[in-house]
Amino acid sequence: MATLDTEILVIGSGAGGAVTAARLAESGHHVTVAEEGPWVEADAFEPFSLGEMVAKYRHHGASLALGNPNIAYAEGRCVGGSTEINSGLFPRLPDDLAADWATRYAIDEFSPDLLGRYATGIEADLGVSTLPGAPPPSSAALERGATKLGWRNVEFARAFRYDTEGRGTKQTMSRTMLPRARAAGAAILPDCAVRRLVRRGDRVVAATARRRVPGGGVERLTIRADHYVVCGGAVQTPALLQRSGIRRNVGAGLRMHPMIKIAARFPHPVDHGDVPMHRVTEFGLDLTIGGSASRRGMVAVALADTGLPFDDALADWENICLYYAAIRSEGRGRVLAVPGLPSPVVTYRLTDADLSRLARGLVHLGELLLAAGAVELHPSVLGGPVVRSLDEMGAWWDGVTRGRANLMTVHLTSSVRMGEDRRSTGADSFGRVWGCANLRVNDASLLPDAPGVNPQAAIMAIAARNCDHFLSEARP
Amino acid sequence: MLWFEREVVEALTRSRDPAVRSGVEAFVDGSLRDKAEHVRVGLATQSLLLGAYARGLRALGRLDGDGAVAALLDRWEASRIGVLRQYVRALKALVVFAENELAPAGTP
Repeated sequence: MATLDTEILVIGSGAGGAVTAARLAESGHHVTVAEEGPWVEADAFEPFSLGEMVAKYRHHGASLALGNPNIAYAEGRCVGGSTEINSGLFPRLPDDLAADWATRYAIDEFSPDLLGRYATGIEADLGVSTLPGAPPPSSAALERGATKLGWRNVEFARAFRYDTEGRGTKQTMSRTMLPRARAAGAAILPDCAVRRLVRRGDRVVAATARRRVPGGGVERLTIRADHYVVCGGAVQTPALLQRSGIRRNVGAGLRMHPMIKIAARFPHPVDHGDVPMHRVTEFGLDLTIGGSASRRGMVAVALADTGLPFDDALADWENICLYYAAIRSEGRGRVLAVPGLPSPVVTYRLTDADLSRLARGLVHLGELLLAAGAVELHPSVLGGPVVRSLDEMGAWWDGVTRGRANLMTVHLTSSVRMGEDRRSTGADSFGRVWGCANLRVNDASLLPDAPGVNPQAAIMAIAARNCDHFLSEARP
Repeated sequence: MLWFEREVVEALTRSRDPAVRSGVEAFVDGSLRDKAEHVRVGLATQSLLLGAYARGLRALGRLDGDGAVAALLDRWEASRIGVLRQYVRALKALVVFAENELAPAGTP
């Protein structure tokens, strides 16, 4: 078994891990990043393509939270984590929500002003901006429909940089924070899955890992560090902690944004290479409407969701784009590491109120798309029906049932939770795991609740804040 | 991939192009191997049970001819029994995604 010594071991290289690695390495610390997934060249695959699913997604993009109904979700599993596969949309954590969380969950130094300063810094680092020109047709449809209905909508900024001709490049962690970390001396170990943390008293003394080596073998590796920061995301982080014997308030309380989709057929071609940037904010954080990746394969799967014949629509797939209604769910889930199983079991209990809200979201989304000029709407509901006018949409209210709705999510949070109330949190206000002096969490698991918006910006701002707190404590 | 899963994938794949068909099968096979272990075990158990049922129908001469498996899957997809619906949907989503991603440009 090989042994490796470092000062700080960061486990995971997504939005939380990459920020942690860059900030701590640039402050002069010796950092090693262990990433379970492979290093994949940023331009090796078209976004959301089959090749990308195989190379960059956990479970080929088909992970599942068990429940009634099951909810499909996607997680990145590569250097850069989910930032390599997401849309790059970068809305900040809303100020009201930050203030509410600070009070409700007793989180120290969590004011909107402070978080705003960190967000500003991260946005500058990544070049977060809105489109330099007019929105593409898929996004313009959201804006047009919302405007016709008098609903508030906004173009979300994205972590994209644009060249002089307006071509955007997503600023993933493998393009931004990880090269910075490496330039500051950090070592990045791809294909290195940390399986367990070894504890002695109130300290972690080692991490045991399995690393794929060139030629196809697997090497057992022990990594010894002074400090350990777990950044595997809301599913993998609690699973690692549980496998390491840390279970108090870890894994329970998983939150997500369940979403229901519509494949909308327009009388004209729409773009398919990007994710629409506009979001309808009329209904607050509890219900948001936006657009999804709409490659041919995804359009086909969405059309198949009704279980009705879809050959005619698929032949016209270039005129079809996918949209969603997402809710802040009342329900909760759980991540459970079962001895002997490498993958954790993820469950989620959707409430009746959640289903009702999803039905409302589906109908509002349908109204908006018809107002935007869509001529045919295929909901992700078994049995549909496919709708061509407002009059036909009434059937959807009764259609969104546990047996018929096909739901998915890409945002999972809150499986460790930070705060000063030890009865309800797994870590303190800055991510230090209760009862472990040198173990921290710094990723989506810490968010005390689902944010109602894409969480990457919040994850990165909070990660940067937590790093500064760590540095202030580490300073002699 | 278990024998009945292969049969389901063959029935759900509509392209006649051998390259697309083998690509779809390879993708579904890889996806099933890569699933979380507990999810894979659940799906494999269903495949064994449903496959045995399909064999029984075949032995009775009630699952013969082209399209018979596809018709059976259509019935299961519309069934009132949740696990039957979910079984078909799980495999169909993989097949439909792969088939359409692998379709040569210009395929209607």
